[in-house]
Amino acid sequence: MGGALEPRDRRGLILPKWLPPALLLLPAALVFGGLFVWPQLGLFATSVASPPPIGFATYQRFLGDSFYVAVLVRTLSLGACVTLVCLICGFPLAFFLARLESRWVPFLIMIVSFPLWVSAVVRSFAWMVLLLRNGLVSIWLRDAGLAPAGFQLMYSFAGIVIALAQVLLPLMVITLYAVIKGIDRDLENAAMNLGASPGRAVCLVTLRLARGGIFAGSLLVFSLSISAFATPSLVGGATAQLMAVAIYEQTLEINDWPFAATISAILLAIALSVALVYGRLIDGRNVPVR
Amino acid sequence: MSASTSSRTINRRALFSLAGAAGAAAAGLSPAFAQAQFRGRELVSSSFGGPGMEIMQRVVFDAFGARTGARATQVPLLSAQAFARMRAEKDNPQLDMYMFSGGQEVTAKAEGLTQPIVGASRMSQIPANLRDPDGHWVVWGVIAEGILYRTDKIANPPTSYADFFRPELQGHIAFPHITNGYGMDFLVMLARMNGGGERNIDPGFEAMKRLRGASIFRAPTDVQTLFSQGDIWMLPYDAATAVRSNRMGLPVAFATPREGAPAVFLTACIAKNSRNAEMAAQIIDGLLGAESQIAIAREVVWGPSNPTVQLPADIAATVARPDQLAVLDRDAINAARPQWAERWNREIAGG
Repeated sequence: MGGALEPRDRRGLILPKWLPPALLLLPAALVFGGLFVWPQLGLFATSVASPPPIGFATYQRFLGDSFYVAVLVRTLSLGACVTLVCLICGFPLAFFLARLESRWVPFLIMIVSFPLWVSAVVRSFAWMVLLLRNGLVSIWLRDAGLAPAGFQLMYSFAGIVIALAQVLLPLMVITLYAVIKGIDRDLENAAMNLGASPGRAVCLVTLRLARGGIFAGSLLVFSLSISAFATPSLVGGATAQLMAVAIYEQTLEINDWPFAATISAILLAIALSVALVYGRLIDGRNVPVR
Repeated sequence: MSASTSSRTINRRALFSLAGAAGAAAAGLSPAFAQAQFRGRELVSSSFGGPGMEIMQRVVFDAFGARTGARATQVPLLSAQAFARMRAEKDNPQLDMYMFSGGQEVTAKAEGLTQPIVGASRMSQIPANLRDPDGHWVVWGVIAEGILYRTDKIANPPTSYADFFRPELQGHIAFPHITNGYGMDFLVMLARMNGGGERNIDPGFEAMKRLRGASIFRAPTDVQTLFSQGDIWMLPYDAATAVRSNRMGLPVAFATPREGAPAVFLTACIAKNSRNAEMAAQIIDGLLGAESQIAIAREVVWGPSNPTVQLPADIAATVARPDQLAVLDRDAINAARPQWAERWNREIAGG
């Protein structure tokens, strides 16, 4: 891409091509290496040390136990549900904001980001008020005949999805907003000139060109929801049998650090592979980045 | 004393150390030197947060600071987190002193994370079963667990853990998650009530399964929310939370169950390799003193561990008597904790 310009220093000397990018990457690489990769390696070493020196007993214990496999599956489906809800609610909102020609747009985006400003504990309290048996939402659902008597959304999987989707929605909207904003409107107009209905034009043109944003936003929401701890444990109570909660319990309550390290290594491996597979599916590489 | 009155520039700390030196000399001891050597040093302890921590700060930590010119502070950390931190900072402890409520001090001592408390003279006043034989930890307060209930919803107050099974209360019961210490003790008490106990937990699980439909919560702060929503009428928790709920205006009372109120012992210990061990020992001595023990009993209903402390009658009425306490076998519980937690996650939480 940048081959046309040779980086030169002030005296006109040609620098090795790799040097400027390397220097630019250095600060982030140092922070990432020191604060993520190195501890992660330590964690991995802890997870493969039972029985010592090298053993995979904790992995066998996790993968051979239907209870923990269910925890894993539940965590992944939580991530999928939250991502889907955020995508369905977030895309129209981001599209609306991106197409809105108003000086209020920055203000509206600020409003969208509000959930991120509130601590997880306070937010979960608010959800408790709505989702408990005597809470508004649970009452509405029962009155509408959608839920049996005594039903409450609090301490349920659906409650966790709702609470997580609320806090992660801004990330989806802001990511999509930036991408949709960068899509040339004339492309939609051209599609409509050629006979597409407005809805079809959005599907054929905007949605496709926004694939990179959809990928980035989904990945962000997915990875944050499978690793979320505070909101699920507060809203989900005992039903929050998820990977992050299991890690917390094994680390702090049961003090089985090798097993906790194993669970987090598995979570990381699965999150990475989901990201790779998802990236392939949506093929973000072919989308022009603007 | 004429020296201090003649000079108006003398500062308060100097006055205190002077008074301390005079007092020590009068008592025939020599801690004056020790007092002076703490000046400018800083001690940090873990604590449980909330009003209990504020009282201890005022009555013990700040008083120690004023007396010695040192700084003594607390950071709120739940026992499990505190223990994890103690373990992680084993070689270079950032906290000098730890407070535990879940029996972690026993594990900490076994793992070599503590050191003997030397120089806390009141340790000898504490009954032998409330302190480590080697002096590594000491109990400074006792929490009584029992039954919290809405006085406006429940006409005849609960007297036993069996009341959780009253048919008219079905759907209005909550209890804490097993990883909350009170949730664990609830399981043990249900087992005891049904012919089991710490070493035979099956009846506890069987009984808890019959509480299907109860709300299970993790966060301690959920207690007030659950009660204020009006849907939950009864749950197992501690007397201090009943008092706090009351002060928030909730019609909640505490009942001591017939089977006994499970006792939670609040302990203090000093981190191995702490550079401020002598200071920590003095703080612990302060926690065992009458002023601190009475103030804590008054404000947060944590009972005294020092039998020489006489509670004023009005406070004594709210604090569970020693004969009302059920002393659980914490060693057995701690040893079984991982298995019970796993089993609980499978059999109870699954819903």
